[in-house]
Amino acid sequence: MMKKRLMATVLAGAMVLSVTACGDKGGNEASTQPAADNTQSSAADTGSEAAPEAEAPAEPTGPVELVVTTTFAGEDTNAQNYKDAVAAWEAETGNTIIDTSASSDETFKTRVTTDFETGSEPDVLFYFSGVDSNSFIEAGKVVSIDEIRAVYPEYASNMDDGRIADSLVDGKKYAVPANGYWEAMFFNTEILEEAGVSKPGPDYTMDQFKADCEKIKAAGYTPIAAALGNIPHYWWEFMIYNNQSPATHLEIPASIDDANGQAWVSGMNDIKELYELGYFPENTLSATDDETVAMFTEGKAAFLIDGSWKVGGIVGACQSDPEDPSTLDADKLAKFDVTYVPGKGDRKATDLIGGISSGYFITRKAWDDPEKQAAAVDFVEHMTSDEVMVKFVEHTASALKNAPAVDESQFNALQIKAMEMMAGATSLTGAVQDLFAGDCRISTFDGMPEIVTGRVTAEEAVAEGLDTYHNQ
Amino acid sequence: MGANIYRNKKPALVFLLPAFLFMIVFLYYPFIKNILNSFMEIKRLGVAGTKFNSPWYSNYVEMFQDPNVGTSIKNTLLMMLVTLIGQVGIAIVLALMVDNIGRGKGFFRTVFFFPIVISATALGLMFNLIFLYDKGMVNQILETLGKQNLTDWKAEGIALFTMMLPVMWQYVGFYFVILVTGLNNISDELYEAAKIDGATALQRVRYISIPLLHNVICTCSVLAVTGALKVFDLPWVMFPKGMPLKSTFLTGTYMYYHTMETKNVDYGAAIAVLIVVLGIVLAKVVNSIFREKDY
Repeated sequence: MMKKRLMATVLAGAMVLSVTACGDKGGNEASTQPAADNTQSSAADTGSEAAPEAEAPAEPTGPVELVVTTTFAGEDTNAQNYKDAVAAWEAETGNTIIDTSASSDETFKTRVTTDFETGSEPDVLFYFSGVDSNSFIEAGKVVSIDEIRAVYPEYASNMDDGRIADSLVDGKKYAVPANGYWEAMFFNTEILEEAGVSKPGPDYTMDQFKADCEKIKAAGYTPIAAALGNIPHYWWEFMIYNNQSPATHLEIPASIDDANGQAWVSGMNDIKELYELGYFPENTLSATDDETVAMFTEGKAAFLIDGSWKVGGIVGACQSDPEDPSTLDADKLAKFDVTYVPGKGDRKATDLIGGISSGYFITRKAWDDPEKQAAAVDFVEHMTSDEVMVKFVEHTASALKNAPAVDESQFNALQIKAMEMMAGATSLTGAVQDLFAGDCRISTFDGMPEIVTGRVTAEEAVAEGLDTYHNQ
Repeated sequence: MGANIYRNKKPALVFLLPAFLFMIVFLYYPFIKNILNSFMEIKRLGVAGTKFNSPWYSNYVEMFQDPNVGTSIKNTLLMMLVTLIGQVGIAIVLALMVDNIGRGKGFFRTVFFFPIVISATALGLMFNLIFLYDKGMVNQILETLGKQNLTDWKAEGIALFTMMLPVMWQYVGFYFVILVTGLNNISDELYEAAKIDGATALQRVRYISIPLLHNVICTCSVLAVTGALKVFDLPWVMFPKGMPLKSTFLTGTYMYYHTMETKNVDYGAAIAVLIVVLGIVLAKVVNSIFREKDY
């Protein structure tokens, strides 16, 4: 009996101790957390104030693990360059990169925003410097270049500051840019030849494009590879642009009644017309972007509007081992070319969408961590050094002070065609969707299937998006 | 005096307290907070609402006018029906058949149960490939059989079927194992006696197995119906954002869409409240229909 009582006492005591221990731990956390928060907020406050005073760089005590998120993944042209550059930095410094990169799409953007909002942001982030970064800049969760330079004066010193984008939140510069981008139209020369369509040139118009699509469709091919239910972004951008001019494209309409608003409505209706003419894949409303891109690379669809990052994806599709450039099937790659998106009205085909819209951010979390601060700075300096950038820039723009010497002999056929195409561009305008980000895009992005099937009118969808934008 | 230690319930309360606190912190507090959030204006994750919507119940008004809410409720109810008939129904048939074979019961039990241990996300990706429009497994088989055109298994008219089939398939094994265990508990003497009385195999199933499995079937049915309310991952992987044309939304996926994709967090909270109400009502209905019997 005595044993049982003893046992019960011991068990109850152990329980109480464990609860107390938990309580202590929680108590400690509770007591230390505000201090940490205070430190963080005071640091954030410091960051938000003008010209911080020079401080001594933080010294790490050993190898550091950095969590890095970028868009250099999947079929991105620079995915392999990124891996190589990261591996070189790891070998040089002994530090480790935990890479959480993913292809850039709305899901990725949601993940990044959510990570910041829930306090699980990465240490370094290669991300869009436009309106997509507003939320975490407003929250003081990334560090401005000026603040970093106060401690590390050489940070991003190889960049032309004039070409680094200012934040739309506070006008400060946060992201050190790597390569720029352009958006254009890839095409399959073999399909065009079979359909009796000549290679589109710099004076390509929408009327010619529709006539060509009709011939391609008659030849048994899908004219346009696009997943309107998944990634309508490129068509959205260019069809709106086709109803504007380079001077007005970046103006967000006040309502659907003004000239720009009407242009947006016309742009949506232009996509609807192409859908009704049957130029998109049969499953365009239910397919993913990967599926329709595969249609293009497998020679089943003739045209693909996409970005400069897709050059690598197309080249990869022409390699038996996408990771190994030596396995490239040059004959297959020769069937692909890139040209200008057909123009209309005041927009010439050679007026492209492009520029520098992304860059490396260092988060406040990494900056305030004495173990990680120097490593994060060093990593960004490495990734944006002239030597590494020369591989990333290739046929796109950069913000480097000294333009990298590009060795064309190292380029594949599609990269050379891309450079030739870019040489003929008459203007490079940013994407208006980078300014029109967030909830306001839902009615015309997620709602594109409803627009093209006529369940929602273009006027209704655009008006809803603009209302959301102006009420944000 | 020694026996008093068992009459003293206080130590039991001490042991129950951590679990109770856990439930308070991680279930009841978020639940009440969620109800409150559904009346607040919250347009970003991780940010507390600072003011009430105008009017405060506007999300609930919007919910009644939102056609996608209707679609998601309809699809969820359909999912329940499919779950009941497809999962529990097929599981009963499989369990009865396996129970009647002499050897290999363990083998079939493992084979049918196996899909449960695979992550729903992995299954979703696998079924994406199976139902792929171009070069998907199903379309290749149909092509081999002479079909000329490719079938878009994710097109509007057929998308629900394509979504529900893998969900159904995944959980058949779960109910199968429960039912086989129930069948094992039925005494062999009953079957032998019936056999001596001249009952056929079908009659033995009809008059012995099914009636004695009644309570197990009821439990499976309640689990299946309430489980259908929580189905999320596999449909989201196969049909993100209710694709195509927002026709495949379930209540869970629609709530996620608004909370995580459109960042309309307060509206997502209101949909979550709707899901809870729906769950309570349906659980009551199901419990009253599938009432267990005392033998």
